Order: sequence, then C-alpha cells, then structure tokens
Amino acid sequence: MPIELTMPRLSDTMEAGTVIKWNVKEGDAVRSGSVLADIETDKATMEMQCFDDGKLAAILVEPGKQVKVGTTIALIALEGEDVASVKAGGGKSGGGATAAAPAPAAKPAPAAPAPVAAPVAAPVAAAATPVVQTETRHGMEGFPSLEDDGPRMRVSPVARRMAEEQGVDIRTVKGTGPGGRVIKRDVELAIENKASMKTASAAAATISPSQALAVSTGGVQTPSAPLALALPGRDVALTGMRQTIARRLVESKTTIPHYQVTMKFDMDRLIDLRQSYNEKLKSSGVKLSVNDFLVRACALAMAEHPYFNASFAGDHIRIHETVNIGVAISLPEEKGGGLVVGVIKDADHKSLRQISADTKTLAEKARTKGLSVQDMSDATFTISNLGMFGVEHFTAIINPPNSAILACGAAVQQPVVRDGQLVVGTQMQATLSLDHRVIDGAMAAQYLASLKEFIEEPETLVV
Amino acid sequence: MTAVLSSGVMSNPVFREPETLGGPTREIEFRDAIREAMSEEMRRDKRVFLLGEEVAQYDGAYKVSKGMLAEFGERRIIDTPISESGFAGMAIGAAMIGLRPICEFMSWSFSLVAADPILNNAPKMLYMSGGQWGCPIVFRGNDGAGGQLGSTHSWCVEGLYSNVPGVKIVIPSCPADAKGLMKTAIRDDDPVFFLESERMLGNKGHVPEGEYLIPFGHAAVRRRGTDCTLCSWGRPVNFCLEAAEILAKEGISCEVIDLRTIRPLDMPTVIQSVRKTNCAVVVDQSWSFSSPGGELAALIHKHCFDDLDNFVYRVHSDDVPTPYSSKLEQEYLPNVRKICEAVRAATYRA
Repeated sequence: MPIELTMPRLSDTMEAGTVIKWNVKEGDAVRSGSVLADIETDKATMEMQCFDDGKLAAILVEPGKQVKVGTTIALIALEGEDVASVKAGGGKSGGGATAAAPAPAAKPAPAAPAPVAAPVAAPVAAAATPVVQTETRHGMEGFPSLEDDGPRMRVSPVARRMAEEQGVDIRTVKGTGPGGRVIKRDVELAIENKASMKTASAAAATISPSQALAVSTGGVQTPSAPLALALPGRDVALTGMRQTIARRLVESKTTIPHYQVTMKFDMDRLIDLRQSYNEKLKSSGVKLSVNDFLVRACALAMAEHPYFNASFAGDHIRIHETVNIGVAISLPEEKGGGLVVGVIKDADHKSLRQISADTKTLAEKARTKGLSVQDMSDATFTISNLGMFGVEHFTAIINPPNSAILACGAAVQQPVVRDGQLVVGTQMQATLSLDHRVIDGAMAAQYLASLKEFIEEPETLVV
Repeated sequence: MTAVLSSGVMSNPVFREPETLGGPTREIEFRDAIREAMSEEMRRDKRVFLLGEEVAQYDGAYKVSKGMLAEFGERRIIDTPISESGFAGMAIGAAMIGLRPICEFMSWSFSLVAADPILNNAPKMLYMSGGQWGCPIVFRGNDGAGGQLGSTHSWCVEGLYSNVPGVKIVIPSCPADAKGLMKTAIRDDDPVFFLESERMLGNKGHVPEGEYLIPFGHAAVRRRGTDCTLCSWGRPVNFCLEAAEILAKEGISCEVIDLRTIRPLDMPTVIQSVRKTNCAVVVDQSWSFSSPGGELAALIHKHCFDDLDNFVYRVHSDDVPTPYSSKLEQEYLPNVRKICEAVRAATYRA
C-alpha cells in the first residue's frame, strides 16, 4: 500500500499549514530522513521529513496552498509499487487534488498484510527536534482523513445519546470537534440555549428567534465562570435573560472588532423646537422626548448611509431594506431588572409623533407585561440613551447582528464658543460603536455629520 | 498434593485498603514495604521462602531482602547461580510439591531466559493437571526502564506476559500498595508476577503499622475529577498525578485511577468513572502494540461506547527499543508532557 503523507500538526494551535516548497518532484526516489517539503505554520516554517523509503508518486497540494491538518498532501509508492498506478489511485482523500478513479491497488481494505514494524531509525527522530514528523502510520494507508470524506454527519457517541435524551435535534447542532464532529460541549450548549430560551419566553421577555439562532449556531462558548473571590457574599442565580445577556454580549465583544467615534451636537434648537411642539400638542396628549428626535435622526441618516443598516454575514455584507431602530429599555428591579431592546419598525418612514407613540407603548409593555418576540425582532441599529440619568458620555456594545450602536449622553448646558464668542450652549455627546468589518472610520464620520445636520437643524426631521 | 489447594492459608484473608485502617503509619521506602510483606509472610507461613541472585549474602542487589538472611537463615533465603531458567524451574517444582516460593529476578528483563518455566509451566499447571497441582509462586523483580540500562535491560514485560492466561499480574505504584499487594500475592494459589520498578524502590510513602492485604482486581481512585479519566498502573500513575495537577490549572479536571493489578483488571471502577467523565486516556509504559493499555482501551470502548465523547487516547513508550541516552529515554517513556497532550486532545482542548 502506498503511504499517504498528511499535513502534520506542528503546534497546539495549528489548524492548517501551507506547503511553501516541495524539495522533490513526482517520481523522485525518497529515503527515510530526506526533507520532502517546507511547511509554513501559523508560527514558523519547518522542514517536513520523510520516514519511508520509496518514490514520491504524487504531489496533491501545490506550493502556496493552505490545507487543514490531516489533509493528505502527497503519496509515496513503496518498493514494488507502480508509481503511475499509485498516482492514479491516490487523491481520493486528498485536498483539492486530481481525483482520478481509484485503482484497485488503492482500496481501503488491503488484503495483503501491511508492514507493521517501525523504522529502526525512529528513536533518533523521536527526540524533540524541530524536524517535523508526518502523521503517516503504517497500516493506516487508504483510510480517508476525517476532513475529507464527504458530508456525513459526525457525532460522538455521548453527544448523540445526550441529544436523544434531551430532545435536541442533532442535525441543528453545529459540531466543533475535528471534521465538524458534534461533541458533548456542543450538545450541552444547545441544551442550555433551549433552556434559556424557555426561561426567557416564560418571563415574556425573550430575545428574538433570529438573534437566538445566531447564538446557537455560532458555536460560541458560554463565557467561563470568572475567578471567584474567597469572601463572604450572597449568590444571585442567573435568570434566562441574564444568561442571554451574558452570552450574547461576550459574543459581541469578543467576535466583533469594535471601535468608537464620538461627536458633540448642539442641542439648543432641537430643545426649543421640542418645547414648542410639546406646548402645542399638549391638548392631544403628545409629549415628544429628545430620544424620539434622535430615533428619527438616526433613521433618516441610515437611509442615506446604507452600510449602517447592514449585517456582517461571514462571506458577505447584508444591506437591509427596512430601517428598524432598536431602543434599549432597562427593566425595573422588581421585574427582575435587565435590559431589552424594543424595536421601532420602518423608523425612517414614521413621523415623530408615531415614533413617540411606538416608543411609549414598547416601554410601557416592557415594564409591565413584557415584550413579545415581535416587539424585539429585527432591529438593524440600536440606540442606548443614558442622558436621563445625567450621564454625559459612555460607549455601548454592539447588539448583533447590527453593525453599529449609538450611545447618547445628556444634553447639558456648558460654555460654547460660537462665532468667536463664549456663550452658554446646550450640547450632547453621542458615541457610535462600530463593527469595523462593515464600517470604516471615515464612513462613521460621514454618518455622524449627517446626524449632526439633522439634530442641529431639527426642522429637517419634521418634513 | 491436593493439600496445596486446600491448605486453608488463603481461605479467609482479611482484605483491607491501607487508608481505611486508621492507626499509626510510618514513612518507609518502597523496598522496605516489600521486605516487610515478605518477612511477615515468612514468619506466618513456614512454607514461604525467597530465592534469587544475590538475595542472601549480598542482602539483595537492590537491598530489598536486606537482613532477611540473618533472620530466616540460608535454608529460606537462597542465593542462586546466575541461571534464571534453572532457579525459576526449581521454584516452580517447589511450588508444585507444596512450598510457596518467592522467586526474585534482579530484573524482569532477565526473566526472558526463563520464559519456558514461567510462561509455559507455571500458569498452565493447574489446567494441565486437571486441577491436581496449582503453582502458588510469586515472581518478582524490577520492570521497565531503570535509567540508562539500555535496550536489553529495560523491559516492560507486562505486554508480553499479560497475554498468557493463568497468571496474575500486580504492578504497584506506591509503598503502601506494594506491601498489601505482596502479602496477597504470597497467599494467592496462582502464579503471581509482581512487577516493581528500580526507579521507585527509593520512593517513600506512608505505610500502616497494622497488617493489611489489598485484594487483587480492586483499583484505587487516586484523584477525583470530572473531565477525563486517566487509567494507569505502576510508575506512570505518579506521572498521571503530576499531569493532573498541571491540567487542573488549565481547567481540566482529571480522575486518576490506579488499576494496581492488570490481571485481574478492575473494569467496574473504570467504567463508572468514564460514564461520568465521557473521556478516557490510558497510560501504559508498555509498547503500544498488543499491550495491556490497548486491551484496556478496547474494553472501555466496548463497555462505555455510548458514553464516550472521543476515542480513548493512549500514552505508551515509543515503538522502538529503549534508548540508552537519558534524554531520549525520558522522551521515549510515557511522561507528564505526553500525558498532558493526550488529555488536552481527548477533551478537545488541544
């Protein structure tokens, strides 16, 4: 049987390696000890040594190509084996090689006894030298590597059993083991997600299904428990919502390349306008908040800057057609505390009065009977406002799968230089947190400039 | 002759785990523990005697039998010629006529020249005599790499010998076990291969003052854990405990099981643990191919198939003759680094 050389794992963290250079050609004789190729890992370039005598029958991975650890990268024909037929029969489990019809000589179950004696030269190489040992094992030739034998689903026995016992559909669980094998921790995560979704919906405060899905299929680990202090104290059990917040914000903060951009806004005109509207509309029960103006301003700015209304989706960016603004609503302590995001749908097509009404309804509902899944679904941008608590500046964590969140502080009176004169003005600071995979710094600045126009010339928000 | 089988000496042994005894302990060396066991049994039972190279006049090549000639005299502590085949055969003959010999091999590596008597005669005697003659004998000596003794003097014989039905194989990891298991071995009616380690003879441990015998086939759980079951016997148990310390700092909690005897093999303890951890790593200083570690792994796969989150990883000596160079020898043996790597891989933390 020919020997399959596989991409060796050269460090604990190595997932894939690149063949930098082959030092031998197909058909060349190779000997135990000869250096076959230079392999680049995530850390260094190392020599790959041969541990068999024979002829290099086929090179399956071209220089410069990166393949996963364990992928077959070359075939060696042993003495008495025909190089051409080995080559013709090879590559069945190789990574991206020419896949000719397997020759009879390369069937996976060899009838002829495979040699099992280890090469006597091995003890020298067994020392911790930087020379690479290939993963080749005598007697294992012909078995496909884990990564490459098709779309069959792999599940560890205990994972399969746990999924059955807990009623988890194993096909929906993403495997994080070798070759995508579903392992115990994947099923545990799925069970946990299921449980926390149940708890959350029971409290009528669930996260949206699309958001939950993003978590359960993301293979993201539950945040590990932080080190505990050996001090007296009391333990508060995590509610389903608290677990969801913990998991999703860790996911956001650890997987999204966040950065922040802050701008100051003159609020005098907006505050004046709001006051005059509220006086005029008092009789009809309308009371616009500063936040309502901000929601409208953000929505209109988003219509101008579509990448703010987008989600990073792995191999592409999805630009959404509707502008849905999420408003972070904190829940009172007696309701268990926590935070939900109510969503104002089609915010760029809604009037200030409508936005105000929607927001009040959402907040009221959130603080009494809880928001429905629909109330919390499909936000494409989020605003978090701590201005009512006197906070002047803070930064927020992006609410996935959004690409940005705006953290608004209080509008405060302060000395302002206007037309060369020191005057008293009312200003607000707002800080965008952005996903750099979608939005670059200059784009953020342009968005804030648009927002500034809307806020500082608030009449534009009305028409 | 049937008197050998129904002597009654073994009939009611009181088996006790050393840690359950309570009472005072002393810290003594592994070699002292073995000597105490042999001496106590020789005082108790006149049929017990010790033979081997240098065991008498020289007090034992490794001082295991120090002082025993003075106490028991030359009829019971017998220096033999350098002829393992001869004195092993003689000891087997003595066992067959009713004595209870302890046959010391200076190294188990030297027992290979006595392969015919110890593998072809002793273990088969009870079977081939239709139950008329057993062979109550203890073969004991140093097993495994002793530290730069070279390929021919560094044998781990358990891979070869455990293949033979009819033998009991004891591989203790600490002084307290060595004593309790040796006493059980001497009272056992079957041939017992008792494998010590030159590298452990000087190891100290707490040994109870009172008498105790440790039953065969009863593993000891040396450390409790939840993430991975480490199974081993003999010297590598100590490496497993070291590895478990390191892995605990990485957040991997290992349960360390010391099998103590590989024939019989305590599967219930292993199965119970693996059902809890869903993960097992077997550490065996034999070579990998047809080894007791391979057998144990196969049994775990059989009994715990639906409980496993990964296949059973195995850590063995490398598949080459034992190197002489101390660095290579260390790298060749199962060591703490290799055990840690195997556990990380088995628990998907690599």
